[in-house]
Amino acid sequence: MSEKQKQMLQKLAALAGLVCLFIAFAISNEYFFTVNNLMTIGLQTSTIAFIGIGVTLPILTGGIDLSIGSVVALAGVAAAMLVNAGAPVPIGMMFGVLVGALCGTTNGVFITRLRLPPFIATLGMMMIARGIALYITNAAPVSGMPESFSTLGNGALFRVVEVGANGFPIVKFPGIPYPVILMVFLAVAFAFVLMKLRVGRYLYAIGSNEEAARLSGIKTDRVKVFAYMCSGALAGLTGVVLASRLVTAQPNGGVMYELDAIASAVVGGTSLTGGVGTIPGTLIGAFIMGVLRNGLNMNGTSFFVQQIIIGGVIIATVAFDQLRQQKKTSKPKPVSKTTKAPK
Amino acid sequence: MSETLLSMTGISKAFAGVQALKDVQFSLRKGEVHALMGENGAGKSTLMKTLIGVHTPDTGEIIYKGEKVCFDSVLDAQEAGISMIFQELNLIPHLSVAENIFFAREPLVNGIIDKRSMEAEAARLLEMFDIGVKPSDIVNTLSVAQQQMVEIFKALSFDVEVLIMDEPTSALTEREIDKLFELVEKLKAKGVCIVYISHRMNELKRICDHITIFRDGTYVSDHKLSDITMDEIIAKMVGRSLDNHFPEKTSVVTDEVLMSVKSACRYGVFDPISFDLKRGEILGITGLVGAKRTELARAIFGADRLDEGQVIVGTKQVKASSPADGIAGGIAYLSEDRKLNGIAVSMSIRENMTMPSTDKVSNAAGVISYAAEKAACDTYIKKMEIKTPTIEQLVSNLSGGNQQKVVIGKWLFRDAKIMIFDEPTRGIDVGAKYAIYQLLDELAAQGVGVIMISSELPEVLGMSDRILVMKEGELTGMLDCKKTDQEEIMHYATGVKNMYKGQREVA
Repeated sequence: MSEKQKQMLQKLAALAGLVCLFIAFAISNEYFFTVNNLMTIGLQTSTIAFIGIGVTLPILTGGIDLSIGSVVALAGVAAAMLVNAGAPVPIGMMFGVLVGALCGTTNGVFITRLRLPPFIATLGMMMIARGIALYITNAAPVSGMPESFSTLGNGALFRVVEVGANGFPIVKFPGIPYPVILMVFLAVAFAFVLMKLRVGRYLYAIGSNEEAARLSGIKTDRVKVFAYMCSGALAGLTGVVLASRLVTAQPNGGVMYELDAIASAVVGGTSLTGGVGTIPGTLIGAFIMGVLRNGLNMNGTSFFVQQIIIGGVIIATVAFDQLRQQKKTSKPKPVSKTTKAPK
Repeated sequence: MSETLLSMTGISKAFAGVQALKDVQFSLRKGEVHALMGENGAGKSTLMKTLIGVHTPDTGEIIYKGEKVCFDSVLDAQEAGISMIFQELNLIPHLSVAENIFFAREPLVNGIIDKRSMEAEAARLLEMFDIGVKPSDIVNTLSVAQQQMVEIFKALSFDVEVLIMDEPTSALTEREIDKLFELVEKLKAKGVCIVYISHRMNELKRICDHITIFRDGTYVSDHKLSDITMDEIIAKMVGRSLDNHFPEKTSVVTDEVLMSVKSACRYGVFDPISFDLKRGEILGITGLVGAKRTELARAIFGADRLDEGQVIVGTKQVKASSPADGIAGGIAYLSEDRKLNGIAVSMSIRENMTMPSTDKVSNAAGVISYAAEKAACDTYIKKMEIKTPTIEQLVSNLSGGNQQKVVIGKWLFRDAKIMIFDEPTRGIDVGAKYAIYQLLDELAAQGVGVIMISSELPEVLGMSDRILVMKEGELTGMLDCKKTDQEEIMHYATGVKNMYKGQREVA
C-alpha cells in the first residue's frame, strides 16, 4: 500500500467517524437529520471551520497561533465601530478582516524577525488584541449597526418561503446560510493553495525540515509570515461573521476559540510538529466538533457534560492516530518464546 | 581465542514484505575484532539490531554464552554486556557529557543525583581517550566527532563484553580514527569483543581479525582477515571485481574562471580566504575536524552571512545573504548532514526533487503542474539510477546512497553552475560511491564547477585536480593533486606547513 493510499485511508477513518456520529444522533433524535437542523449545524460549524482552516497553515510550518480568539473579538469590534462611524457595511467588514490580517502579519514578523517562538509571539498578541478590543470599546458591546450589517451572518441563499393559508409565512426550504457558502468557498480555495500552489508546497517543506527548505532557496521567513497572515485574516473574518450574526460586536467574545481551531485541525489529522495535515481533514475535524455539540444539545446533554465528551473525543482521536502509527514500527511478537537474557 | 561467545543462526527478518535478512549466520569468538562487510542495505546493521533487541528476528536463534537469548530491549542487551553504538547519534543535546553517559542510571544520594561522583566517574572514562572534552560540557557544543566519542564512552560505562560499532569512523578525521583504534586495541586487550561495521577497507587491516561478508541480506562467507585480500573482499561484497576505486577522469581543466572567492571571511570563524574555481576542475577542500570547511562552503552559498569579501560567479557578484541569493547566482550546496539539512525525509521524492525549482514546474500564477514534476523526476531518477518503485516514495524509505542521489538530482534539475559537495560519500557503500565519483567527473566535464569537501584523503587525491587544505579557519595550502600525497596534505592540515603564512605577514 502506498503512502498516498494510507493517507487516504486515514482521512476515510475520520470521515467514517463523522458518519457514525451522524447516524447515532439521527437514531437518537428524530429532528437531528432534518434540513433545518443540518443547516444549523453548517452555520454553527462554519466559524470553527474558518479559524480551523486558518490555524492549519501555521501548524503546518510547525508553529501555532494562540491569538485567534482575541483577534476574532478585535476584528468584530473594529468592523462594527467603523460601520457605526458611518462607513458602508462592506467597507467596515473588509476592515475587520484587514485588522485580523494585520494582527497575523505582526505575529509572523515577530516570529521571523525577532526569532520569537510562535507560542510566545502569539500568546503576546492574544493579550494585546484582547486589550485593544476592551480598551477601544470600554468593554461594552458595540451595537446599533444598520440592518444590512446582519445580512452576512443571518442571510441565506435559495431560501424558499410561502405564505400559508392563515397568512403566516411557511419556510419550505431554509436556504443555505451565507457563512456555509463562505466556508465551502474557503475550504476549496485553501485546499487548492496547499495542494497546488508553490506557497502550499513550501509550507509543508518548512514543517518537514525547515533548514533543508531554506537551503533549497525557499524564503522561509516570507512563507511563515504568509501563514500567520492567513490565520489572522480568517480569524478576522470569523469576528465579522459573528458580529453580523448577533448584530452586536462583543469585545469579550471569542474566548478560547483558538483552542477550538487547534482541536479541529488536530482531530482532522494535522500534526503539531508540522509538515502533516490537510484542509479536508481540518474540515472533517471541525464538523466532528460541530455535530457533537449540536447532537448533544438536541439530546439535552448539559453544557458541562458536553465539554467532558468533546475533550475525550479529542484525546481519543489523536491517541488512536498515534497508536496506528506506532503499530508500523513496534516489533511483532517473537515466533518462539525463548528464555530471558542471562544476568 | 577460538571459543565462541555468540552465535546467530538462521536469522531472517522482513519489514513490510521486504526481506532484510535471509537465513543469516554469524559467530563471534572471544577477544576478537570482527568486521561486518557489505554494501549499504546488505543487512549488517539490521542483523546487529536483531541481536540487541531493537528488532525481533522472524526466525532463527541466538546463543550467547551458551544460552539461548532473546533481548526485549537495548537496555536488556546492555545489562547482559552487549552494547551498540548506532550510526545516528543518540545523545541528548542539552545535557552535559556526564549526564549523557550516565543517562537513566545516575548515581543517587538520598534520591538526589550525585553530580560530583557522576562527573568524577565520567572524567575517569574520558581520561582513557584524550578528546578535549570535559564531563561538564554540554553535548550540543561539541563537534560531531566528539559527540561520537561520547557515545562510545557511554557504551563503555556499562560492563561491556561485546561492543558493536556501526560506522564509528564516518564522522571522524584521520587523527581521531587513530585514537579510536588505540582505544579498540585497549579494549581488545581487556577481552572485549568488538563487532565493527564499516565501509572503509583500509581500516580493516589495522584492527580486524575476522570478517563476515554480507550481500543483499544474505550471508556470503566469513574469513580470517589474514586469509583474504582486499580485492577479494570487495569482489565478494559486490559480486563483481572493482579493479579501480576511482573512475578515469574525462574532464579537462581550462583556464576559464567559473567562480572566484575573494577574501571571504567570517569573523571568529574563518580568516580571509581567496581562491578561483576553473571550468572543468574538481576542487577538493580538506582538513581535520574544526578546519571550518563546511562553514566556508555555507558562507559562499549564502546559508551564513559573509562578514567580508566577495563571491563572483562568471562576471556577476553574488549577494549571498541567503541561500535563495546563492541559488539565484548559480551556486548549489549539498550539505554534509543530509537528514538535518539536505532533504525533507517525510516528503516524497517528487516533492524533494522539485523543492528548489518549483518555478520550473509551475505557471506564472504559482500553480504547480503534476505532469511537469513527474517528467522532471522521471528524468533524474533515470539519470541518477535511483532505486525506487515510484516518485511518490517517501525519502525516509530510501537508503543513504539513494537519498544522496535525490539531493544531487534536485540540484541538477536546478541547473546549478557551481556545485559544492560536502562529504558526498559519507555513509555510502562502495558501489554507490563509484557512481557518485563518476557523476562528479561528468559534471565537471559538462562545465559545472565542482567543489568537493572531504575528510577522506584517498578520495580527495583520487578525484580532485587541486586541493585546498584548511586548518582551524585558515587556508594553509593549495596543492596540485598530481604533485602531492597524503603526507604532504597532512602537513598542511595539521599546520606543520603553511604556504600563506609568509605572505600574510608581509601584507
